[in-house]
Amino acid sequence: MTTMYREADWVAPARPTLGRTAVKWATTTDHKVIGNLYFITSFFWFMVGGLMALLIRAELFSPGIQVVSDKEQYNQLFTMHGTIMLLLFATPLFAGFANALMPLQIGAPDVAFPRLNMFAYWLYLFGGLIAAAGFLTPQGAAGFGWFAYSPLSSVAYSPGLGADLWIFGLAMGGFGTILGAVNFITTIICMRAPGMTMFRMPLFTWTILITSVLVLMAFPVLAAALLVLGADRQLGAHVFDAQNGGAILWQHLFWFFGHPEVYIIALPFFGIISEILPVFSRKPLFGYKGLVFATIALAALSVTVWAHHMYVTGQVLLPFFAFMTMLIAVPTGVKFFNWIGTMWRGQLTFETPMLWAIGFLVTFLFGGLTGIILSSPALDFHLSDSYFVVAHFHYVVFGTVVFAMFAGFYFWWPKFTGRMLDERLGKIHFWMLFFGFHTTFLIQHWLGVEGMPRRYADYLAGEGFTLENRISTVGAFLLGASTLPFLYNVWKTWRTAPLVSVDDPWGYGASLEWATSCPPPRHNFVTIPRIRSERPAFDLHHPEVAAMDSPTADKGVLDQLLGEPDIGHDGIGSSRGGRGGGNAHSGGRG
Amino acid sequence: MRAVLGALVVLALSSCSGTLSRGFLPEGATTESDRVTRLWNGSWITALTVGALVWGLIIWCIVRYRQRRDDPELPEQLRYNLPMEILYTVVPLLMVGVLFFYTARDEAALTDTSKTPQNVVNVVGKRWAWDFNYVSANTFETSTQVNTAGAEVGKLPTMYLPVNRRTEFVLTARDVIHSFWVPAFLQKMDMIPGRVNKFQVVPDRIGTFIGKCAELCGAYHSEMLFQVKVVSLEDFDARMADLRAKGQDGQLDNTLNPSPLAPGESQKIPTVAGSAS
Repeated sequence: MTTMYREADWVAPARPTLGRTAVKWATTTDHKVIGNLYFITSFFWFMVGGLMALLIRAELFSPGIQVVSDKEQYNQLFTMHGTIMLLLFATPLFAGFANALMPLQIGAPDVAFPRLNMFAYWLYLFGGLIAAAGFLTPQGAAGFGWFAYSPLSSVAYSPGLGADLWIFGLAMGGFGTILGAVNFITTIICMRAPGMTMFRMPLFTWTILITSVLVLMAFPVLAAALLVLGADRQLGAHVFDAQNGGAILWQHLFWFFGHPEVYIIALPFFGIISEILPVFSRKPLFGYKGLVFATIALAALSVTVWAHHMYVTGQVLLPFFAFMTMLIAVPTGVKFFNWIGTMWRGQLTFETPMLWAIGFLVTFLFGGLTGIILSSPALDFHLSDSYFVVAHFHYVVFGTVVFAMFAGFYFWWPKFTGRMLDERLGKIHFWMLFFGFHTTFLIQHWLGVEGMPRRYADYLAGEGFTLENRISTVGAFLLGASTLPFLYNVWKTWRTAPLVSVDDPWGYGASLEWATSCPPPRHNFVTIPRIRSERPAFDLHHPEVAAMDSPTADKGVLDQLLGEPDIGHDGIGSSRGGRGGGNAHSGGRG
Repeated sequence: MRAVLGALVVLALSSCSGTLSRGFLPEGATTESDRVTRLWNGSWITALTVGALVWGLIIWCIVRYRQRRDDPELPEQLRYNLPMEILYTVVPLLMVGVLFFYTARDEAALTDTSKTPQNVVNVVGKRWAWDFNYVSANTFETSTQVNTAGAEVGKLPTMYLPVNRRTEFVLTARDVIHSFWVPAFLQKMDMIPGRVNKFQVVPDRIGTFIGKCAELCGAYHSEMLFQVKVVSLEDFDARMADLRAKGQDGQLDNTLNPSPLAPGESQKIPTVAGSAS
């Protein structure tokens, strides 16, 4: 019989047909598949939003109107660019990474509520499609900016159907985000494997937990505000009328959501960086607990600083919000120094994930510095709503989300798909994006300082902004083009790359996902290794290193609180502590 | 050492040209703008010093700690260093305290409206132009949106201000939120429908400066431009007389707005007589 088969038939199993895959994915409750759905959908929106950005940059290449047909269309482009990038790309991307990795990292077979998980995805998918469907209506999509300031977003000044689709679509998608957060929190609290104490969780899982708590604080406020705005428009309510103080009320509600939102899309990506740096430095994360507390501090501060978006309204208590905003520099600084401490005296190698992680560090740092400048109301009075702010938040948000997203993609691609991405294409991708990004956005700081307002479809020929805008536009097209090698890389490795046969192709993976196959089986683990530190996979693959672990004699109160994760008297460093080596089993709870 | 060097480089560069010594800010046209420029320069020198330190550490790691052929199997598995971590928590805290001190001082000065102004202008934002109510002179000027094709500074709708006189801007909006920004003043403030906002400046340089709406207000937001002409007191009085001679007596006040001011807000608008109505 065997002679009847050609070799290819039994070497590689036949790929399932497209239709079979579609049905399987649409009806799945597997967190890994749902994670893939989030990845694909959010990356689709990333490219749509990116194309809109290219139209915006093309329009600003020269004074006058050349690309868009009128200025309202330009407003719709940047409104939908912002909306898509923040709410249909970055936020669901967090859900994508959380789904794909968090259950693996805590040693769980799936999330706590698998069907709720899929329901949340459908809410996001259809909410997003509804929000963007305004482009198909006669008056076009919403054009009032992604923060939809009242009264501009009222029916009197934005009568189009696109605005209503935007409001109700985002409200719907927002419920998906809320349900996702409930799911993640429950999973992390209830479904950790035996031995996986809170202070042994990977930092990425910590950021998912804290981000999900932030989602529960911020997104219900957004949902309420959007539904009330919808009531104003559709049912004739008067909540956001100007004579009732509605203009400022909307800003408070929106930014009470909007600022935590920035941290919702930043913290998980800090988590990704915190996972990658140790692996390519061959060291444990430096100051694990310090990073956990810094993440908690960032989340706490992020709900107290919303009015720094409102310094120039003349309606907020400037010193309070200025001080709270400046305080954010402290935990952010702690993170930076801990990341540097992780690399310090390591053995660094520069595979693509590490390249992206370092790209994140140098880019995000500048966004942080301009953030401190903007935190000062006396300086923000000039800079607010200028291109300086545009440059600042692209350094922060793009620097975080996009750099860390690609870092995570290149790092976990074998875990997601069973195949490694191509290193050479990955490096071309990185350098194109890196130079494209900095060419686009560095120059925009000068534009803003010199007086170019954001959201202007046009500028005067005599203002001296033309050259700077041209440099920025050229950079933007290089940035956009950098996606092509990535797409080619995905296609090429999908078709030709060999399957990964080991659990940890990088060799020094720390967290539990590197202790199962690539990709993992349906319920993730055949066996779970003993979890005795915050790096169970590393302990499994490098048992000899336990002897090299730095000693922890005479722990004080501060060490207990701020020191290393749980590797104390019952943990991995125990043989140094003089308690003998026979207590390996005491680390587990079950 | 690296940090000190960075600061010195910045200082050395900043003495090279006027633009750089202002940190690329537009040349200020008010006495308050000097205050902003000083805070701006100080903040940037500090920020770039910190930045140079951190970038330097990152680059040091990349260069010094890249894997070498003669490396042992693995480096020391150091997990934390508590004194170090406390150091880099406390030092930024102190730096933030310093920045906050100067910020609070300057921001209080920039928003101070307790001094009696010598000239009051109620600037009213409307889609997509400006009404200038010269309260002290009891006259007004109105404008329409600017066709940006072919427009240039010098031919935009004009607001006149007398030089070296304390001017108070009373900012209101007729329809949606606008923002009053003259980049040369290094300061802006929103015009919020239903609300009254104020700030004061002393223009100290005769000249023409572009002004813009800085808050998205609809399709022709980018056409909501104007210019400020800071002129001598005699010229200013002559301009005001011209406006009155054109029949533009009185004010285009906020009773013309489609929706009224919020309760209690109208008292904040000064009247021609100089007292609140």
